[in-house]
Amino acid sequence: MTEFFIRRTLQSVLVLFLITLVTFGLIHAAPGGPFQIMLSPGLTPEALQMQAHNMGLDRPLPIQYFSWLGDLLQGDLGYTFKNHVAIGDILWPTIKNTFILMGVAWLLTLIIAIPWGIYNSTKEYSLSDQTASFISYIGFAMPTFWFGIILQQIFSIKLDWLPLADMYSMDKEGQVGNLLLHLILPVTVLTLGFLAAYVKYSRASMLEILDQDYVRTARAKGVREGKVIYKHALRNALIPVITIVALDLPLLVAGAALTESVFNWPGMGRLFVQMAVAREYSVLMAITLLTSVIVILGNLLADLLYAVVDPRVQLGKKGGKSA
Amino acid sequence: MMRRKKSMKFLFLLSILAIVIAGCSNKGGNNTNSPSPSATTAESTAPSAEPSADANTPVQGGTLTVSTFSDIVSVNPLFISDTASGDMAYLMFASLYDLDREGNLAVEPWSLAAEPPQISEDGKTYTVKLKNTAKWSDGQPITAEDVVFTLNTIINPKAASPAMSQYDKIASIEKLDDYTVKITLKQVYAPFEYSLMLTPVPSHILKDVKPEELQANPYGKEPAKTVTSGAWKWSEWKAGQYVSVEANPEYWSEVKPNIQKIVYKIYADQNTEVQALIKGDVDSTSAIPITQLEAVEKNDKISIVKGEGKANTYEFIGFNFDSNNFPDKFIPFATQKSRQAIAYALNRQGMVDNVLKGTGTLLNAPFLPNNWSHAGEKAVNYAFDPEKAKALLAEDGWVAGKDGILVKDGHRFSFELQYNAGNSRREAVSQIIQQNLKDVGIEVKTSAIDFATWQDQNIVPGKYSAILIGWSLSNPDPDSESIFSSKYFTPTGLNSGWYKNEKLDQLWVDGYSVVDRAARSEIYGKIAEEISTDLPYIFMYQYGNPQGLGPRVKFAPEDAPEPTQQSGYFYHIIKWWVTE
Repeated sequence: MTEFFIRRTLQSVLVLFLITLVTFGLIHAAPGGPFQIMLSPGLTPEALQMQAHNMGLDRPLPIQYFSWLGDLLQGDLGYTFKNHVAIGDILWPTIKNTFILMGVAWLLTLIIAIPWGIYNSTKEYSLSDQTASFISYIGFAMPTFWFGIILQQIFSIKLDWLPLADMYSMDKEGQVGNLLLHLILPVTVLTLGFLAAYVKYSRASMLEILDQDYVRTARAKGVREGKVIYKHALRNALIPVITIVALDLPLLVAGAALTESVFNWPGMGRLFVQMAVAREYSVLMAITLLTSVIVILGNLLADLLYAVVDPRVQLGKKGGKSA
Repeated sequence: MMRRKKSMKFLFLLSILAIVIAGCSNKGGNNTNSPSPSATTAESTAPSAEPSADANTPVQGGTLTVSTFSDIVSVNPLFISDTASGDMAYLMFASLYDLDREGNLAVEPWSLAAEPPQISEDGKTYTVKLKNTAKWSDGQPITAEDVVFTLNTIINPKAASPAMSQYDKIASIEKLDDYTVKITLKQVYAPFEYSLMLTPVPSHILKDVKPEELQANPYGKEPAKTVTSGAWKWSEWKAGQYVSVEANPEYWSEVKPNIQKIVYKIYADQNTEVQALIKGDVDSTSAIPITQLEAVEKNDKISIVKGEGKANTYEFIGFNFDSNNFPDKFIPFATQKSRQAIAYALNRQGMVDNVLKGTGTLLNAPFLPNNWSHAGEKAVNYAFDPEKAKALLAEDGWVAGKDGILVKDGHRFSFELQYNAGNSRREAVSQIIQQNLKDVGIEVKTSAIDFATWQDQNIVPGKYSAILIGWSLSNPDPDSESIFSSKYFTPTGLNSGWYKNEKLDQLWVDGYSVVDRAARSEIYGKIAEEISTDLPYIFMYQYGNPQGLGPRVKFAPEDAPEPTQQSGYFYHIIKWWVTE
């Protein structure tokens, strides 16, 4: 286990390093790269050169890269190209905001989807199952931002029940009640999107297990149906579900760019769009990197969870000896 | 395992996406290249937001919420080159001079100058006298010292201020006494008058900062460290969310602002921005996309300030005159006649009516119709006339080819017209251009390119055959030498189409070498005649995004927004008030 953990961690570090290299390279190769952003038509080429010099953008690329990497290792995400603002100051608050929005939507999804999927697996093609299928189709097919606009029109503009956008009203910043009101619409949109996959997944996984020999054996022994489902089948059925849950973790931080933009939610997805529009590559690099870290951690976590939940998965046995 | 692969792919896609989206900068409907920092706005026709009987008396206090599409970069006046920062600086800083509605330099109660500039006999020396009452927000007096420091910093190449080109004609700057500054130019340069709308920065705060470190300095980015001179002082900046200012307790002018707090709120989505105006979350939206205009017009609570005839932005088709940019080095529109034929073939009024929904006016020269020079009136107007276009093309030696496209000396009349992807107005207009020209036998291939790439690979190096783009004029001076003169080929200047006309080159110089306005107007009239005959551009129309105002915003008719000016949606905002 420990050996496995060390190996996976080392792998992850290597992958991360490659990601920094690729991100940096791509962004500096892009047309209108960081150098060009300062192009303001009133500026002569000499002045432009001078601005780039003042901002440290005329140094050779490898030097820029290693200085960026060096700062990163000390937890310093660097400064924006355009106005030399610390990227951390911009980034961290948006992560918190995204986490609140995505966390609520995600928890709500789990609370609804898993029990519902399990229930539907025992009542195949019932009304409940059909409803879930229908909702899943909508969830998969409908663009979330469009659904968001529809909800805004109905509940905010026409009925005036809920706020249109933002995280807080201007004069009620930090108030939990106000936050909850603002959460309703975007969470509805996001939950519908998530729900589709999760209900389908838990239902399918459960159906597969219910078909297994040991479940049939349990039933043949005369074990009560409830016990068969919740004790014998559920634990095994949850393994794949836990995996996708772990792999979706990065979404909690990366956020949903379109939903956040439509609801003007000050999260990381919206920030990514804003910074892309403003061609502020330094922040895009930081976001990409951060998301990468979390994707890699999510992968690592999923692997470890396999081992914990399912004893059949034997990790680190490859070389013979194991810790 | 499938899942994991997918995540890694997602990662890769994310970095690709970063670049693709980054390309779509200037996403809104309004992409313009500008000779200098520019705002793009609309025009005020409605004088005020429905003044009701008892609503004509200004009320003190309250909050005005204004929406925007992009965040500020820095409000340090030395480094402003974007609209959002310009807007906020407009609220926070006082300038030496302001503009009146006609675009003349004005000494307002909130201007730092005490009287109009004294211009010497030879037209080279400007003497500016400051009010002796003005104070910085930290209580220090605003003096000649600050003006001299600001000018010296701008013209110092090490500071790399984007304002530098406006001041490159300065020979010397002299402090005559604590409140008087004398500026001497190397030559007579009439547009310099507008450069006197200088916004000084506090010398006592910034004088010890090295010029090359000014841009990275917290001044202009941290509210507490940004000492200002205007009616409102900076209270907060939540990056990506909002910027807010509050009435400056140290404000020195006899005219004080009515509105206590102004919030500049950033929306990431333009549809949401417009909905927020309708719902009342915001009181003013500086740019309603044309596509949303009808929806807003239906709402009777919102008053719309439209842009007919007054916005400071115009659109054009720019031709390239460097034969290296064409197949077989053949420029199809090389002759004056062929360009005039193109002008006759285009239904420009139709574009204004159908695409711009009436938010624009035709334009025939690089002078806005409301300009004091009235030069545009002397320009040739090419009314929509396909028959005349065909006749001109025939005279020019073009004959119909097999596929209906005109041919001359074995070359088809075909060229590529580029515009920026994601700009819905230009997309629609380019299609009309394509159809109109096809009707007279000219083939146009339209090509939509991401803005950053376009600028980087086509416009700045001057490599294209024709472009559909706009200019936003930063001040009311009719001088456009740096756009049209062959002295200003790209990248040093803005003449990216390699246009050369010696008669015009000289006229532009004549135009700024005399200070007298009547004499200047006459010269620009000649330029209008010549340029509209020779047509380096097909001048299309001027346009502006309509401004939307909510029911809480009040002002007297003489203080209404003035979209011809930069940050003109805040014109005389010091006198506005809001109701609850």
